[in-house]
Amino acid sequence: MKYIEYVNQLIRNEVKLAGRIVLFGQNINAGSCLSGLTKNLKVKSGLIINTPNCENTLCGVGFGLMINGVPSIYFMKQQDFLLLGVDHLVNTYNLLRTKNVRGSFTIVSIIYDCGYGGGQSALNNFADFCSIARIPGYTITNAVDARTIINKHLISPGFRIIGVSQRLFNDELIQSVKGTPNRDGSLFQYTKGKDLTIVCFNFSFPYGWELSQKLVPKRLQASLFSVNTLTPINWDQIMINLKRTKKLVLIDDSKSANTACDNFLATALDNCQIKKKLILKRKFSQLWFKPQADNLKVNYSQVINKIIT
Amino acid sequence: MSQMIVNERYKKSDFKIPIHLAFGHESIAVAINELAKKSDQLVLSHRNIHYNLARSGSLKRVLNEYYLRKSGLADGRLGSMNLANQKKNITYTSSILGNNVSVASGLALGQKVKKQKGIVIVVTGDGAIEEGSFYESLVFMKSNHLASLIIVEDNGWSLATRIEERRCHINLNQFTASLGIKFLELSNNDPYVYLKKLTSARQSTIRNKSPFCVGVKLSTLGNWNLKTAEHPLGKSINYHAGPAPTINLSDWPLIKNSAEDPVFVLKKYFSEKLLKRLAKDILESLKREVDEIH
Repeated sequence: MKYIEYVNQLIRNEVKLAGRIVLFGQNINAGSCLSGLTKNLKVKSGLIINTPNCENTLCGVGFGLMINGVPSIYFMKQQDFLLLGVDHLVNTYNLLRTKNVRGSFTIVSIIYDCGYGGGQSALNNFADFCSIARIPGYTITNAVDARTIINKHLISPGFRIIGVSQRLFNDELIQSVKGTPNRDGSLFQYTKGKDLTIVCFNFSFPYGWELSQKLVPKRLQASLFSVNTLTPINWDQIMINLKRTKKLVLIDDSKSANTACDNFLATALDNCQIKKKLILKRKFSQLWFKPQADNLKVNYSQVINKIIT
Repeated sequence: MSQMIVNERYKKSDFKIPIHLAFGHESIAVAINELAKKSDQLVLSHRNIHYNLARSGSLKRVLNEYYLRKSGLADGRLGSMNLANQKKNITYTSSILGNNVSVASGLALGQKVKKQKGIVIVVTGDGAIEEGSFYESLVFMKSNHLASLIIVEDNGWSLATRIEERRCHINLNQFTASLGIKFLELSNNDPYVYLKKLTSARQSTIRNKSPFCVGVKLSTLGNWNLKTAEHPLGKSINYHAGPAPTINLSDWPLIKNSAEDPVFVLKKYFSEKLLKRLAKDILESLKREVDEIH
């Protein structure tokens, strides 16, 4: 099963059970239905609205529905468009937080991280985006986190953004993993090993998973974590592990400048005696926003050699 | 008169928060207060004191909110520019121009989904109609058949610039007509006429399941003269925020001898003698209400 088919199936199941709900966004019920993200959505009661092109107002609409206690989900073709709604994501959201409004409003946004979109479609910066108002944001990378995040957060009191990766849309879903979320669901642990700690951020879990699999024939066992949220995170679980392995591979495939990854690294350097560390992040040229591939290139053999030696 | 008491305290720098007084805006607020049914939701902008006073009927609670006290209208959490009062159906108030029309669209959609009887009444201004969100929201409301009244308070100013100093003319009548939205213009501050016409507009928006836009011509009273290098003799600047220096508390609250002042318009219906006696009584009562607040 493809990544997007699974995400779509989970969303369909949730909204079908939801009772009264409003699903809205541009083209969510037409054409490719946002490349399959919103295909075949059905609601028990409520509305599915193909909206006009008015992103700012659509964000306000979600908050208005939230005030009136009507759960809603705004599906968005790509996160770059959401910049038009920043007023609501910051000002309206901040105001509603002071009022303790208990309705549910979720934006499910495609993060355009497959490259070649050009300067105005290069916003693979989910963490930066969420940081503007400490918006709870969740990234979906595999079957385990998809299930947990969508079941727990898609329709629940409060506001959040769930990001799905355009790059992963047509990839086979990583289903064979077993993972456990920490108490608040901000990060997941997939494997337990004594030789190495791998920590993935944004949508980089597939890289970390592949690396951990390539270590197996070499009789190395890695602890694999994926950090799926972008707001302050309790790092204790990873710190305990890192103190034991003393070896760290950190992977972040985003373009964000304000990341949980940097916060993690500062905490790790402060608390752990790390013997070896490799940080795999995007290297930016001056023209990072021109049309070009947006995936992270990982040389696994090189990484393994560096960690082993 | 309540605003005049706030103004006097404002002059003494009593408040830490910014307040936008609304001298001259009272007629539309009184009419909307009378118009609004229990099932309606009211959505306001940064200049909202007139609606909050009309709805709450309590200067003391509004004042306490401005002092950020727990006994304030919103427990001292919202201050002035976001002051809402859920118990009196003021559901949301925004200090960002145009922001509240989008949220009003969501509230109206919520009412539709819940099959509620009420409408959303959103108050905005001639500055906010320049924002893209105003246009977007009208398109959204019309496309989704949402019953709502959009009240545009047109005082002709945005901060210290007149409309003609900052933009081209916007013909709201033609603009709303282009979207298939009905339009009504109110002027001259007669609250009885306003209420009659607004009642008809409210019925229309419910009947037609379509937004209805109401332009209200008014003046924010309290102008002052600004001398600059360009205007050595001074330029009349509209009162925007802060205390109104040219307005003083008096037991006869007439500020301007014209229909720009809602008090002046009341003389159409009541003798000046009666109005003066009522004003004196009201001032006494207000003073008693707020005397212990320092």
